[in-house]
Amino acid sequence: MIFSSITFLYYFLPILLLSYFITPNRYKNFILLLFSLLFYFYGEPTYIWILLFSCIFNFYIGKKIGKSFNTKKSKVYLVLGIVINFGLLFYFKYTDFMITNINQILSISIPLMHIVMPIGISFFTFQTVGYLVDVYQGKVAYNNKFLDFATYVTLFPQLVAGPIVRYVTVEEELKSRNHSYSQFAQGVKRFVIGLAKKVLLANILGELASSLAGITVPTILSTWVHAIAVTLQIYFDFSGYSDMAIGLGLLFGFHFLENFNYPLIASSITDFWRRWHISLSSWLKDYIYIPLGGSRVSKLKWIRNIFIVWFCTGFWHGAAWNFIMWGLYFAVLLVIEKVILKDFLKKHKIIAHIYTILLVVFSFVIFSQESGTILNLFKCLFGLGNLTFTNAETVYYIRSYGILLLVAVMAATPILTNQMKQFQNKKWMTIVEPIYYVVLLLVCTAFLIDASFNPFLYFRF
Amino acid sequence: MKDKIITYSFILVIEGFFLLNLWILDQKISFSERRDYQTFPQLTWDSIHSKDWMNDFDRYTLDQFAFRDSFRSLKAHVVFDVFHNLDNNKIFVKDDIIFKSEYPINEGSIQRFIQKMNTLKNKYLKNNKVYYSIIPDKNYYLKDSTHLNLDYGQLYDMVINGLQDMEFIDLRDILSLNDYYRTDTHWRQERLLPVAQKLGNQMGFAIDTSYQERKYAPFYGVYYGQAALKLPPDELIYLENEELKQAIVTSYEGDNLLYNTSKLGSMDSYDVFLSGATPFITIENPSKTNEKELIIFRDSFGSSLTPLLISAYSKITLVDLRYMNTKVMEEFITFENQDVLILYSTLLVNNSVSIRD
Repeated sequence: MIFSSITFLYYFLPILLLSYFITPNRYKNFILLLFSLLFYFYGEPTYIWILLFSCIFNFYIGKKIGKSFNTKKSKVYLVLGIVINFGLLFYFKYTDFMITNINQILSISIPLMHIVMPIGISFFTFQTVGYLVDVYQGKVAYNNKFLDFATYVTLFPQLVAGPIVRYVTVEEELKSRNHSYSQFAQGVKRFVIGLAKKVLLANILGELASSLAGITVPTILSTWVHAIAVTLQIYFDFSGYSDMAIGLGLLFGFHFLENFNYPLIASSITDFWRRWHISLSSWLKDYIYIPLGGSRVSKLKWIRNIFIVWFCTGFWHGAAWNFIMWGLYFAVLLVIEKVILKDFLKKHKIIAHIYTILLVVFSFVIFSQESGTILNLFKCLFGLGNLTFTNAETVYYIRSYGILLLVAVMAATPILTNQMKQFQNKKWMTIVEPIYYVVLLLVCTAFLIDASFNPFLYFRF
Repeated sequence: MKDKIITYSFILVIEGFFLLNLWILDQKISFSERRDYQTFPQLTWDSIHSKDWMNDFDRYTLDQFAFRDSFRSLKAHVVFDVFHNLDNNKIFVKDDIIFKSEYPINEGSIQRFIQKMNTLKNKYLKNNKVYYSIIPDKNYYLKDSTHLNLDYGQLYDMVINGLQDMEFIDLRDILSLNDYYRTDTHWRQERLLPVAQKLGNQMGFAIDTSYQERKYAPFYGVYYGQAALKLPPDELIYLENEELKQAIVTSYEGDNLLYNTSKLGSMDSYDVFLSGATPFITIENPSKTNEKELIIFRDSFGSSLTPLLISAYSKITLVDLRYMNTKVMEEFITFENQDVLILYSTLLVNNSVSIRD
């Protein structure tokens, strides 16, 4: 089930809200667990057992690690936990990729296994491994209530497409949490904004990107607009989902950490990754980069660490070479930036922004294409593909989607949010603001009802 | 206070529509979208395991959503009036006329059409005089450089150069945008006499031009529902005279009627002409004893034109190759020296995959 669906909005959520708020506090986690499993089962009936296994196994291993804290046994349990969790992830996500590459390198033909990847496995694997490591390091106490732990692992707002919620973030709220009008309204606002980002911006940008990808005669301009549309689509798709997840969390009393902070206004690639998919980059930093020594090692080892982390970032996103290239592309940029460009970018803000956005757009060209077509696309972007600058078809799409592109660019900056904040305390906002959110919700509903394009990009990760 | 209003208005919307959707009776058919709606899917273990039930249920929630048409209309207004998109699901409106963008040109489809028609000619129509005409769809007359449009010149050139031993009848200059319904893809029968006369001039027949008009309104064409906008409907006029009343229609499927008035007000009122899509129809004209016969290979545009040609022939046979393959056709027609007219619209030529072998 996806948040931006009529099934979720007008069937699942109303029943859940009703059930949740009429249930006494001590049974609220049970309701959340039940509905979260239903939520997952609806989208992935075959693999629900993997999720259940993950809950039971990690609960048990976490307990074992916690009980044998500071002994050799705890390390054994941790290693076992990591191997099983990543083993499952590797099996479901990477087996066919590995077979394909082995076949190509050795010129053999091991048959592919055509394994279907369970939805959200990349997210809940990282969450549970993070939990085990935190228990092992003594950062959190192990959870000895299965209901609470299973609620954490399966919590539907963040289950299938993140953000990667650390156990420590919700540890206390799993035990007891407050519900208030203020928090609920905050959640509603966040959810509706996320829904609008997804339905009104990402989906329509996706239509534009798809039209431009299928253009009869590509032009230099169409290739650029396509690259920009894809970048904005991915941003609004994923940040919209994160907003919805954070908003839904608030409805049920959970406070998830921010996952995006206007990454497209970043002034360097380092800054970009402090603002983009924060939960993933901080996870990789805390559980891979720092344990490897981080930056407090020799320069050569530090560069190695950066390349390992960014290889993992790329590979986490998908079992394909373009994702690995995408990760390593950022590794190269970050090393160059930290070694050579750091001071220059600090002094020249405008150049820094242009430099960052261009490199980010290029990164999403790599991200969104199959590895074989990437070079060709870059040739087109730089006019090396024997293309004309523009044609009638390109102009048509730019005219047709021009306003949407402008709105999307504006929405990717804090301008609109800051404007809204200025009016927050005005008296008339008491009426206008609720109307704004209801209208936005109804417009999103209208687009969903008449939708032909509504995939979630991050579901495949 | 504001937080309470936001909280309750959100709950009101989602719980309200949830209850409304449960309360409102399911619809089986959508007249505006001209399709069957998804009804509540049957729950079985297999359908759950295969996710078919979930997919069907998602479709069900979309199709049966309360005020679905109003929501579609809201979406269309946001697309056109807020985002200023040039089309909504390929539909756009200009001067209250609804168009559906047909773009780009599909050369493979055109080649396929040419090959099919040449095969038809060589295999079955060797001894027949064969004429053909490609009916321009209404986008052809759209004098507007804003929207993407087919390269009609290329399409016609390909067809004219590709079809062999057949005589082309060009209808492009005698039609205009006014000859098409504003809310539908088709042409208007009451404005087709010049077309029938042009065909007659080239094929060597004369038609009767005295008819009485029968009117039906409001006629909401196929694009009306797709546009989901409030626009003035059309009036559907069909032409009748004594000779047409006596014509004997024999349909392979459907009703044996030249004008099936029970279709007026149905999902597609244009089906009044020869009861809509039918693979094979013969129309005999008892008042014409010249033994002249005509075979028309046609799409839906031919349904409204054919009645105007009846006065020139004692028998007209209509074949729709979208619904009948040529092997079956042999069982129904003995090809002798009938006149043959191949009459397809540019829409079909550019999407010829529906023509059977």
